Amino acid sequence: MKFILRKLGFYVVALWGAMTLNFFLPRLMPGNPVDQLISKLSQHGPVTPETRHALELLLGADSSEPMWKQYINYFVSIFKGDLGVSVAYYPTKVSEVIGNTLPWTVGLVGLATIIAFALGIVLGAFAGWKRGSVIDNIIPVLTLFQSIPYFWLGLILLYFLSLKAGIFPLFGGYDVYTTTPGLTWEFISSVIYYGILPAVTIVLSSLGGWMLGMRNMMVSTLSEDYILVAEAKGLSPMKIMRSYAARNAVLPSISGFAISLGFVVSGSLVTETVFSYPGIGSALLTAVQSNDYALMQGIFLIITISVLGANLIMDLLYGFIDPRTRVQG
Amino acid sequence: MTTQHGIRRIAKIAVCAAAAVSMMLPLAACGKNGGQNAGGGDSSIINVFNGATGTITENFNPFSPTALQPTLGLIYEPLFYYNIYTGADPKPMLGESWEWNEDGSQLTVTTREGVKWQDGEPFTAKDVAYTFQLIVDNPALNTSGTPIKSAEATDDTHAVITFNAPNSYLQESQILGNSAIVPEHLWSKVEDPSAYTNEDPIGTGPFKLDNFTSQAYTLTANADYWNGKPKIEGARFLSLNDADGAASALIGGQIDWMSSFIPGLDNLLKDNPDISYTNTPYMTTAIITCANGDAGCVGPQTDPAVRQAMYYAMDRTQLNKLAADGTGKIGSPTMLVPDRDEKWIPDESLRTTPEGSDIDKANEILDEAGWTMGDDGIRVKDGERLSMTIQTVSGYSDYITINNTLQQTFKEVGIELKPTLLSWNEWNNNEQTGQFQLSLDSLGAGSSTDPYFIYNKFISENAAKVGETGGVNLSRYSNPVVDEAVAAAASTNDEAEKIKQYGIVEAELAKDMPYITIYLNTCLNEYNQTKYTGWPTEDDMYALPITWRAWDNGIILQTIEPKQ
Repeated sequence: MKFILRKLGFYVVALWGAMTLNFFLPRLMPGNPVDQLISKLSQHGPVTPETRHALELLLGADSSEPMWKQYINYFVSIFKGDLGVSVAYYPTKVSEVIGNTLPWTVGLVGLATIIAFALGIVLGAFAGWKRGSVIDNIIPVLTLFQSIPYFWLGLILLYFLSLKAGIFPLFGGYDVYTTTPGLTWEFISSVIYYGILPAVTIVLSSLGGWMLGMRNMMVSTLSEDYILVAEAKGLSPMKIMRSYAARNAVLPSISGFAISLGFVVSGSLVTETVFSYPGIGSALLTAVQSNDYALMQGIFLIITISVLGANLIMDLLYGFIDPRTRVQG
Repeated sequence: MTTQHGIRRIAKIAVCAAAAVSMMLPLAACGKNGGQNAGGGDSSIINVFNGATGTITENFNPFSPTALQPTLGLIYEPLFYYNIYTGADPKPMLGESWEWNEDGSQLTVTTREGVKWQDGEPFTAKDVAYTFQLIVDNPALNTSGTPIKSAEATDDTHAVITFNAPNSYLQESQILGNSAIVPEHLWSKVEDPSAYTNEDPIGTGPFKLDNFTSQAYTLTANADYWNGKPKIEGARFLSLNDADGAASALIGGQIDWMSSFIPGLDNLLKDNPDISYTNTPYMTTAIITCANGDAGCVGPQTDPAVRQAMYYAMDRTQLNKLAADGTGKIGSPTMLVPDRDEKWIPDESLRTTPEGSDIDKANEILDEAGWTMGDDGIRVKDGERLSMTIQTVSGYSDYITINNTLQQTFKEVGIELKPTLLSWNEWNNNEQTGQFQLSLDSLGAGSSTDPYFIYNKFISENAAKVGETGGVNLSRYSNPVVDEAVAAAASTNDEAEKIKQYGIVEAELAKDMPYITIYLNTCLNEYNQTKYTGWPTEDDMYALPITWRAWDNGIILQTIEPKQ
């Protein structure tokens, strides 16, 4: 119990620190949203000094309010669950923008990360168990995929598989021409079909790392005394591999997995750009380009919470998987 | 281990103003498409990419600066359509004619009869009066800063708009050509028009909203449109994250109309006879100089001789070839568009810029102004080296090419140019606050082709001191002769007088050169000519075929026809 409380306390402090940074960082950026909109409007028509006044009224951008007051208001509204109104998507609420984009990202990148992890661990375990086998030999090939810049891998796959061969679609999250979103098989199958190529790219580019890590841990675990004991007891090789070797070897990978789960939200920008996939990454890009503080803060908050949350869960879970971490040294 | 990788920098080209999106070479270089199914082959719904990226948020409020762009032109209409590419006379839309009162403080508009809102209610002059009164009552809606006092309808076909001051002739194009008319019977029920997203928009336009999702939305033809039902069944607007996708989708037949710069377009089209394009340069690319030392500008560019020397030294033919694939057109030192604005430039010698570089003349100007050649090949005057920084946005590859080319050319006359690359935000912020020496930018278009909308960038009233924001006079230029002439031109409706006054402004600008014209920037529009006909051509530019231009897209989509 004390262990859990101590962990929780640490995470509360970390969250406060992150949210404070989150408040100040966007404000250190050059420019402000009103100037931004004025410059955009001036491309389309004449802009007069009254325009600035109208936009300030419109956005409620009262820049004269002192910083500490803004800081307090920021915390108050976050606890009320009010993330404010987006400037880039004015007058849509930030929570609505996030609500529209987050499911796509979590669905695609989250699933792909889990698949890559699971596949990597299983294959890695086998590769470590049977060194020199075929599985062991494909590791260098997969790490090669990982060393190719991700966007380049994505563009090449897109070029050959979509543009040349026409197997996969060129862009989007679903077939915008023939389906409308809803709980229909038509729509869901379209989402799955459109998600395959981006997901394959993510899996390809991260599988090698998981596999290599797992394989090497497996190798060092196999030289432990308790493996020898298990073998001496006459246990079946499969049981030794699963319950003795793999179970111990997987521990470092699990903490790595926690971190990568946390980065699902933020790490999707490149995927979304290459495949024109809807998601929170492109919303973040828009927010940064438009000096949209509210939206930036909202997305950073989601990222912070997901990174901290994933770590917290793993921390707690780790205590059960590996009781050694609970005991103070 | 994770899927987090370096953020890919998207190559951007600064053509067609800020809304232009990038093109990447690998896909642009590809020849044939791989047999992708052409989207939406079932009907004549045209697929348009207008630069929308990521998630599209529903907003069909014509007063909102973040409204989805087809709101203006497809759903809602103006009183008149102004073609800012040809400068042709305004074309009647919801209005039929207009008249000023004696002192230019009241504008009376005669509206079209027999027009119906998309919900079947009749459109009258009362809706026009209501629209402008709404702007008066809600200053937050007045993003164009139009100085209206009041608006009222005298009967069903006449609306009178009263301005704050006499001689408000310049408001004409804003009121007539750049204001969407909304229905009184629906908008009078809206509580807060500035935060209204208008998810069920009812306008008078040729298209009405059919369905909306965050990745695409479709508008269908309005069968009761006053000018006849459009020939195409509808238009679908798509979101793509970058123009790599757009270029390949265009070739794959999934997009029928887009406006993006594609390097080597002619080569690409050789293998794709379905695709055709027009080039519509109408915006001037220029070096903005922080010109006014009194306002706080620092650097050699505050000397008009230096600006003159740069003007003559640059080789525009070379710049066009290297930066714009030869698709730019010759501009004018007056910042106007040479062919279109011929009548506004009385002095023929100011109509176009030189094409090649004139190193001798540049040297002569600098020598005369007292800049002497230093040991390191850079000129010096009173201990100050002739060295300046020029800022542009990182990723605007054509602008970067321009800067690098200028750096080489200017060295020959003893000017050191130091290009810097900044993020859009920082670059824009520097321009607004005057924290720059030279900045490469393009000049936007006004609501009509009246030179006022360019020349108000050069009057003292619109200039802020360095360090402060506000005003469109980015170069902080201040010249009483220009101030007076612009004010005189703005307060008259007599064209001959306007031409005379603008002539004075042009002579001053050509002498002082606060902005140094480079060329008219390329603006490519690509369309599928196999599926649709009736697109504007270089000879008949009945509307500007840029997908993200308000109003113009409404004219184009009601004109084109599906090919049988």
